[in-house]
Amino acid sequence: MLIETSRFGQVDVEGSRILEFPKGLLGFPRHTRYVLLEAERDSYFWWLQSVDAADLAFVVTDPSLFVSTYRVPLRQEQMDEMGMASLDEAQVFVIVNKRGNVLTGNLQGPLVVHVQERRGEQLVLSDRRFTTRVPLMEITPKMQAASA
Amino acid sequence: MLVLSRQRDETIMIGDEVEITVVDIRGDKVRLGITAPRQVQVHRKEVYEAIKRENTDAVDVRVEDLTAADQQLRTTFRQPRPRRGPLHGT
Repeated sequence: MLIETSRFGQVDVEGSRILEFPKGLLGFPRHTRYVLLEAERDSYFWWLQSVDAADLAFVVTDPSLFVSTYRVPLRQEQMDEMGMASLDEAQVFVIVNKRGNVLTGNLQGPLVVHVQERRGEQLVLSDRRFTTRVPLMEITPKMQAASA
Repeated sequence: MLVLSRQRDETIMIGDEVEITVVDIRGDKVRLGITAPRQVQVHRKEVYEAIKRENTDAVDVRVEDLTAADQQLRTTFRQPRPRRGPLHGT
């Protein structure tokens, strides 16, 4: 199906790639359908693009690439509600933001996706060790190439 | 805002399915017990607001920012991004 995006123009994606967030995301309760788009091949980041709003897209990443101690506790009733029998069925992403030159991850509000069911939810964690702005990496200015 | 006074162990009903009980009162702190259906999310407001604000700000990250980040990460990890299953298949 064709999706309008403000950053990438019109994108053709298979319907099976659509992720459903039945509760939307916090602040965007009515936008429930998204697709994951890679900005580049083999990027460490994806764009979570709304199917229904061309300019609504979030950068997401796998937090375990940056924060090895990060764990998202899932209660049994949360797993039941998402239809997950085991944690293997879940994939965790965090929304990436930028402060100055630092990319930060919202580890307090992770996105948990049931991979097989293509359904996700943004959780609110009460563990105060992880904030909404955990620094992931600093983008350093490009080194000047030596002149030929 | 509706303001009600409750003592310890007393409860408030919100609609038919949400209950809030005063579990304990100690000095300035009130411990509240909340019973709600699974699909109703219950959060401390300041945390909810912080996440909502962060979501709203996050739409400003640009494609160029990620290109630079990826270049740095490839150098750091010195290998392609680890594949993680069907969600990441094209």
